[in-house]
Amino acid sequence: MKVSYNWLCDFVDLKNISPKEIAEKLTVSGFEVEDVLYMNEHLHDVFVGHIDKIEKHPQADRLVVCQVDVGFKKVQIVTSATNVFEGANVPVSLDGADLCNGVKIKPSNFRGVESDGMFCSGEELGIDDNYFDGAGVNGILILPNEFKPGTKIEDALMLNDVAFDINVTPNRSDCNSVIGIAHEICAMFGKKFKDFDVSYSTVSGDVNDFVKVSVETENCPRYMASYVKNIKLSRSPLWLRSRLFAVGIKPINTMVDITNYILVEQGQPMHAFDYKYLDGKKINVRQAKEGEKISVLNGNTYNLDKDVMVIADQNKPVVIAGVIGGVNSCINQNTTESVFECAVFDLKSVRLTAKKFGLRTDSSARYEKGVNINSPTLAMRRALHLVDKLGCGQIVGGIIDICSEKIGIKQKLTLSYSKIIKILGVDIPKEKVVEILSGLGVETSVSGDTLTCVPPLLREDLQNENDIAEEVIRIYGYDVYNDLDGGLFENSSITIGQFEPRLSMENNLKNILVDKGFYETLNYSLYTASACDKLLLSKDDERRKVITIANPISEDMSTVRTVMAHALLLDISSNLSVGNKDMRFFEVGRVYQPKSLPLTELPTENNRLSFAVCEKDYDFFQMKGLVEDLLVGFQISYTLKRSEQPFLHSGVSADLVANDGRVIGWFGKVHKSVLKNYDISQDVYYGELDTDFLASLPEKKYETKEISKFPPVERDLAIVVDENVTNEELVQAIKSACGKTCFDVQLFDIYRNNTLGEGKKSMAYKIVLSSDDKTLTGDEIANIMKRVLKGLQFRFGAKLRD
Amino acid sequence: MKIQLEDILKNGVAEIESADDLKTLDDLRIKYLGKSGALTTILRGMKDVAPEQRREIGSLANSVRENIENALSQKLADLENAKLLADMEKEKVDITEPSKGVKRGALHPLTRFNNKFMEICVEMGFTVIQGPEVETDYYNFEALNVPKNHPARDMQDSFYITDNILMRTQTSNMQIRAMEKMKPPFKVVCPGRVYRNDSDSSHSPIFNQFEALVVDENIGLKDLMMMIKEILKRLYGENIKIRVRPSYFPFTEPSIEIDATCQMCHGKGCNLCKGTGFSEFFAAGVVNPKVLEMSGIDSKKYSGFAFGPGIDRSVMVTNKIPNIKYLFKNDLRFLKQMR
Repeated sequence: MKVSYNWLCDFVDLKNISPKEIAEKLTVSGFEVEDVLYMNEHLHDVFVGHIDKIEKHPQADRLVVCQVDVGFKKVQIVTSATNVFEGANVPVSLDGADLCNGVKIKPSNFRGVESDGMFCSGEELGIDDNYFDGAGVNGILILPNEFKPGTKIEDALMLNDVAFDINVTPNRSDCNSVIGIAHEICAMFGKKFKDFDVSYSTVSGDVNDFVKVSVETENCPRYMASYVKNIKLSRSPLWLRSRLFAVGIKPINTMVDITNYILVEQGQPMHAFDYKYLDGKKINVRQAKEGEKISVLNGNTYNLDKDVMVIADQNKPVVIAGVIGGVNSCINQNTTESVFECAVFDLKSVRLTAKKFGLRTDSSARYEKGVNINSPTLAMRRALHLVDKLGCGQIVGGIIDICSEKIGIKQKLTLSYSKIIKILGVDIPKEKVVEILSGLGVETSVSGDTLTCVPPLLREDLQNENDIAEEVIRIYGYDVYNDLDGGLFENSSITIGQFEPRLSMENNLKNILVDKGFYETLNYSLYTASACDKLLLSKDDERRKVITIANPISEDMSTVRTVMAHALLLDISSNLSVGNKDMRFFEVGRVYQPKSLPLTELPTENNRLSFAVCEKDYDFFQMKGLVEDLLVGFQISYTLKRSEQPFLHSGVSADLVANDGRVIGWFGKVHKSVLKNYDISQDVYYGELDTDFLASLPEKKYETKEISKFPPVERDLAIVVDENVTNEELVQAIKSACGKTCFDVQLFDIYRNNTLGEGKKSMAYKIVLSSDDKTLTGDEIANIMKRVLKGLQFRFGAKLRD
Repeated sequence: MKIQLEDILKNGVAEIESADDLKTLDDLRIKYLGKSGALTTILRGMKDVAPEQRREIGSLANSVRENIENALSQKLADLENAKLLADMEKEKVDITEPSKGVKRGALHPLTRFNNKFMEICVEMGFTVIQGPEVETDYYNFEALNVPKNHPARDMQDSFYITDNILMRTQTSNMQIRAMEKMKPPFKVVCPGRVYRNDSDSSHSPIFNQFEALVVDENIGLKDLMMMIKEILKRLYGENIKIRVRPSYFPFTEPSIEIDATCQMCHGKGCNLCKGTGFSEFFAAGVVNPKVLEMSGIDSKKYSGFAFGPGIDRSVMVTNKIPNIKYLFKNDLRFLKQMR
């Protein structure tokens, strides 16, 4: 929202208050000034000059030498411009000027003739024909004769205003206007708001004799209309153009400029119809009918439906209500009679329509923020005042006002002073509170602890103690908190802090991984829909049921992830592409599995730990060791089964299966096709654990037993078995044969060689035997070893290796 | 004989002392103490010594033997020690060669910051909670006093899934979930991911927030400020200065933003803080009584305050991260700097 300094001066006395001060004060009071724009920034050292005499340049055919009166002195200007003439008034930039197009002026010498400066075009002054006649010509801007030589150009052209670009928060829709901001400034500086003139004279007749208005939709709580005849359209006076220009609105003609002026000053959008195009002389505010169309000012034609509110005449829609006018009914050069509209439209309706057509106009933007039901009352009269003042038409008596809500009724709040102070925690005396509120136009009276507050009509946002507390403190000054001291828990109760168990557990796992050389990554939980394909998920894989974003930012982020692996594989791929090597990555994140599609209830959000290694010489068993270390602190027993994950190498991967059969994770080598899909040309090992499941486990219980007093005995046993016999089978068999004397069984060597026979391998175990109650004798040991070998021979056809 | 013994002692000790390897030393032991060694030979001749001299010679011989044995064992220890030292000398390494074994990795800077922040909050009596990222419109907006078509929704462009379900735009959804579940007084804090459909190049569509909510009797803006000051001191030291600016959030009233000494330039003024010396740290406010009521908390009895730091920005400032995109890029060259 932009407002200008000069404009504000209409409503508040700003003598001795600089634009900078205003900007600072607005910002600390809740109206962040994002920019202060000085219109004259590039206009210093430019003056109105009168060309007394023009002579040819002695050395150059294309140059002329001008003697120019700039009021306080005479200067000589050499120019190549061809549209200047003796007796013309022109803008003259002198030494030090720094023009809008970046040109800096210094006295210079043109082929032996001194020039004290330069004549300026409109472009060099930052204006065009819309702002000032002649400013758009390709040449020097010729100024009117009545401009006095020596006048600063910024004053002559009224380019001496300062605009504030203010970020108005959504709760203060009343401040999307000059008068709203002016009220705030009054409160900040303790000034009195200067009421504005809404008087105008009318000619005979009654508006109702010219136009009939009917409202047939609940989206228009108020519609005001007035009638102006004998319109003489012209350019608006310079002061008005200057104001519109300062806030970035292009001046067009008096009638259109007036509607824009009211929009900025009063925060009330208006529309002016060309009366002769209103069929049946009727205005009907209604929802559009299916099949209706409208061609609007931006050149587009839109198909309308019942969700779009329109202003229609007897036959057809002429305006998309609150958004944009139709081509036919708008003010144009031939307009002689007009109906002025000043209405309140429902913000939701305007918002939906603007969104639907992708149309955002100054009007719709204003309506979307909410226009107060009371706003049109003065805005319409102010507009008619301007019509009268500018002499652009005759106003017919009466204003049509169709309103379905009560207007002019101020709310009365009964509030507790002590509660306000409690909210703020700062002792602000009652008198000060009353003073601040009165400054904001809130009529306030005190009786004991009770404050009775009557906010101004447009301040719907003030409803309770919290609202009033905020008004008080933002004017009183938030800096009171900057250096405040006091007890941290002066007023609050003691509570016992507690970590989230899963987060703590995940932190433990993270530390294990970090110790093992892993780096933590963070990845987006939105990804491409093709992730499931890249990971080779089968057609009926549950994880193919993905949640899709209705309005994605890009295809890359169009679905909510159901698989973790995609992210780490992408990370590895992108790291490899920049030449990074030896990666150990992990991520703690979520997958979001919908219970049904389309989504009718919230999905299951499952927290998972994923990890991946891309490193020379890394292998399955290293990752197996990692997984064992990650799980060793949990009260859980699990078994490994060949993994069913489609993105893992089926022969070099395992699923972790808990006792209840639930798969709690998996790890292993990544499938070669998958690697190809991610442009990875090295082996990658990947694993994943369900941390929600791990968090659900009871705390691990550590129970110990007595260490045997008798020395353990070690025996090595090397046997030859078929390839398909697994280590686990052999260990189990050895353990059961040893019985309770078995202390430990460790595989220490695997040997494969043709001499062992086709499809055979040698497995060498270190067997540790120990008894709790005696030293084992040589015979006992020999017997046990015999039993072991016999068992292995019997079950697996094992042979003792020579 | 006496003279012979004295010679043996003299020569033996001298020879032993000058021996410079174990072999020589062993030869000397044999030479003097061996079966046909010098001393043994003399002792064997004891039978020829006059009985009155036997005692004297015997004791002399024993003393010579003892001395030679001592000299031998002393020398043996010296030689062994010398050999150890020589062996150790051979093991000498270049201590500037690189270390071996798997090097530690590193936590993500965001995790570090989150953990530190959580620790501070837990010490102050907060309970850490977690909740859904795919959220209903009710928890994300409506219950936070942002009804459908409220202009405040413009401040947060959302990723919608259905009309009623979206990716949460703020961790403030957890304020409502906490208020529904917990009985005041309570303090909760919720770190988490949030999503905004924001095409601005300096913003990431997914980022992190940290929501803190306190509901209690008799608390207000001052208590909020005291708590935030304490947190900032614990994060950045005693000297941190703060600055409060008014703001607007539909679910708090009054609403404020809290700037603190810019940690990039330590208040001197830099690009990040646009030369002000302060950068934005917290959005905060007193919970709007409407929000309390909607979640079933009696706003006449209880009040609350909420605050949330801009986590990603804080992490950037804390670790002087040059570009916000580094946080999600996972480039090893960046991550390794967090070791």
